[in-house]
Amino acid sequence: MSYHCPVCNKVSNKSALDLARHMIGRGDKVHRDWITSKGFKYSELLALQFSSFGGEGFKALAEVLEKEAKVKD
Amino acid sequence: MSDFSVIGKRVHNIDGTEKVTGSGKYTFDVVLPNMLYGKVLRSPHPHAKILKIDTRRAKRLVGVKAVVTGKDTLGHKQGIWRRFPELCDEEILCREKVRYIGDAVAAVAAIDEDTAEEALDLIDVEYEPLPAVFDPMDAIKEGAPQIHEGVELNININRHIEWGDVDEAFEKCDYIREDKFKCSSQAHVCMETHDAVASFGHNGKLEVWTSSQSSYYIQRLYADMLDMSESDIRVHNRHTGGGFGSKFELDSAQFPAAILSQKLCQPVKIVLTREEEFTATKRRTPMYYFLKLGGKKDGTMLAKEVRVITEGGAYTAMGATALYLTGFFSSFPYKYPNYRYDGYRVYTNTAVTSAMRGFGAPQSTFVGESQIDMMADDLGIDPVEIRRKNGMTPNYEVPGQAFIQSCGLHQCLDKIEEHIKKQGKLPPNHGIGVSAYGFMSGGIFNWFNTPYAFSAAVVRINIDGKVDVYSGTCDMGQGSNTTLAMIAAEELGVRLEDVRMFSGDTGICPPDLGAWGSRQTLMGGNAVKRAAAECKQQLLEFAAAKMGANIVYDLDIKDRWVHLVDRPERGVSYFDIVKEAIRGKDGVAIMGRGHYTPHRKGMISPAYSFGVQAAEVEVDPETGRYKLVNVTTAHESGTVINPLGIEGQLEGAIMMAGGYGFCEDQPMDEGKILNPSIADYKLIRSLDMPETDILEIDTYEPEGPFGAKEAGEGLTNPTAGAIGNAVYKAVGVRIYDLPITPEKVLKALKEKEKQQKKAKK
Repeated sequence: MSYHCPVCNKVSNKSALDLARHMIGRGDKVHRDWITSKGFKYSELLALQFSSFGGEGFKALAEVLEKEAKVKD
Repeated sequence: MSDFSVIGKRVHNIDGTEKVTGSGKYTFDVVLPNMLYGKVLRSPHPHAKILKIDTRRAKRLVGVKAVVTGKDTLGHKQGIWRRFPELCDEEILCREKVRYIGDAVAAVAAIDEDTAEEALDLIDVEYEPLPAVFDPMDAIKEGAPQIHEGVELNININRHIEWGDVDEAFEKCDYIREDKFKCSSQAHVCMETHDAVASFGHNGKLEVWTSSQSSYYIQRLYADMLDMSESDIRVHNRHTGGGFGSKFELDSAQFPAAILSQKLCQPVKIVLTREEEFTATKRRTPMYYFLKLGGKKDGTMLAKEVRVITEGGAYTAMGATALYLTGFFSSFPYKYPNYRYDGYRVYTNTAVTSAMRGFGAPQSTFVGESQIDMMADDLGIDPVEIRRKNGMTPNYEVPGQAFIQSCGLHQCLDKIEEHIKKQGKLPPNHGIGVSAYGFMSGGIFNWFNTPYAFSAAVVRINIDGKVDVYSGTCDMGQGSNTTLAMIAAEELGVRLEDVRMFSGDTGICPPDLGAWGSRQTLMGGNAVKRAAAECKQQLLEFAAAKMGANIVYDLDIKDRWVHLVDRPERGVSYFDIVKEAIRGKDGVAIMGRGHYTPHRKGMISPAYSFGVQAAEVEVDPETGRYKLVNVTTAHESGTVINPLGIEGQLEGAIMMAGGYGFCEDQPMDEGKILNPSIADYKLIRSLDMPETDILEIDTYEPEGPFGAKEAGEGLTNPTAGAIGNAVYKAVGVRIYDLPITPEKVLKALKEKEKQQKKAKK
């Protein structure tokens, strides 16, 4: 199963979490806009990431991506 | 006994005589007809809008030929990460805004340096100071002053590396610890400051002499900034008086010199002062490190999680790479089955941080090796043993990241253990600290977006048998020309004195990415070896015909003797064969081309060196002062090309890395560096140098030329960690922020005493 980035169509073969890493990591305007459109604030996701162990920022976005990212078998 | 004739011999650098006699010519020595001298005006503000620059008074000064500002440029921004335009963020001559004390705003060309200097005082710049932020932990907060438009939380770039299931692994750990460290900055302190002579001709072509680590990068960056074809730009690299990571981006000597020269069609020379060198060039990246480490009671490490926030300074530079590499090398040299890294590079209104020898690894090694010792101490495990239990081995894959072929870490640990045992019981307040490390032999990543091979070389054999090697590599004092000449001589079967090196001149040498990431021995060496092999093949074809040998025999050349491998006494002179071969080719010199680009070697590097260092310190508990008594290093770098070269690298590395651990720092007040001179910046000097011993470990790297890999930067990684661990062993205090100064040791000792008294009560 693979996950496709809803913005640039980058494919992740691993998980929604992996795709979340890509989207936050890329961090350009189009990716940020998509993240914002889902009710997140990009800076808050980043802050979650850098202020605690556990990758919480990624996990929060991954939950949404699990439902929304294009998935192909 | 070695099969090599040249490799493995202790030789002085081929340019050593020129250097020690003072006859070697550096950019500093370049004088061209009609040459003018340039000076640069810099921002006194850490963050400000430029409202107006009035150059009229300066232009009127007798002897001034031109004054330029950002308005005279195309307004392009430079950056090494050319694949990501948003990370090319440095104008060099600022047009609208300055972002640190030292940002360049104008430049003057005059008939001499004094006049140029005087003219700087006559340039009127009207600024509107803006709120500034200096610490990344403040800059990353919501509401902090924004340094670059549209960059949220001032996060310049973030990097993430992960494998395994870190959260699940921590649940299985018997032992978990979390620690916080702070790594300081460090100046490169090259003996030759940044300098350039730029000469635009009336033909519209630019010629530049400059002290650099990558002529090709400088050529390409000039082309971007000036909107020129790179072939119309020739960059010469003469002797370079040190680089250490500071000299492969376009800088505020090179660019303003070119803009001034373009305006005047006259050569312009700019040499940065020592103060400018400290305040307006790049520096080592300070980092806040947050570490979580978990393992079993027996010392088996199961998971590591790392968060890093780095002080980026005003621009991206090579700091983005340092951010990535510090994350990768935080896992080194151990087999963590589960690993997670999150790194954030944060813009601040301070001098730009970038590459410096070790490229993020000295920081990760200091914090990682400190924490492993703490874990070993808590679990009652010997520090060497815990490293042995978890250390990398040959043919290990760092999951999804890298493939390690040769690895002599365990031999290094054995040697260091032996060394420590030999010392026996140490006197009071002495301690030996251990630190293990690894490093890459050149980077695989191509964020510069070069379309060329990473390394290329051309070898030419002349009628007299002498060999010319053309390589785009840059010798910045590390001895790469000697190493490459030895590789060419070995491959061709001639003597070292038969080889002449031409390097770092974009006009005559094929492109090469240059001297960074410890890449030249492996990458440049492979290119040279392949070019030499192509020449050798041509010679042997002629030799086989001339000698009339049975075709079942193989031919070879050793020490200028072309011979049958199985019957070495049957042969002919190399010089005779060369003459005949050239005659037989209608007078065309024998030429060979070679190139090297790593393929299918993971994401980081084609090969890695490893080592273990033991530092002994003697601490005075009354004052906190301590002395580095001895630093012994077991280092493996594959086949050693030049043992004398490695010893030089090691001694230099201990001086530099010891300084990082012991005394070097760049304190600031509101973004202003407070010690911008050799007098105030504390370096380890010759009298402070400890005894240094090197324990050689034999390995062979299949990817390297004759089995060689890096021996330059890796050696700077372990020392701060080894010092920290040694201080702890000596007096039982742990210092979490670099440098480990006597003041910090004394303060920690007092705190320890206070805690002990409290516990007794």
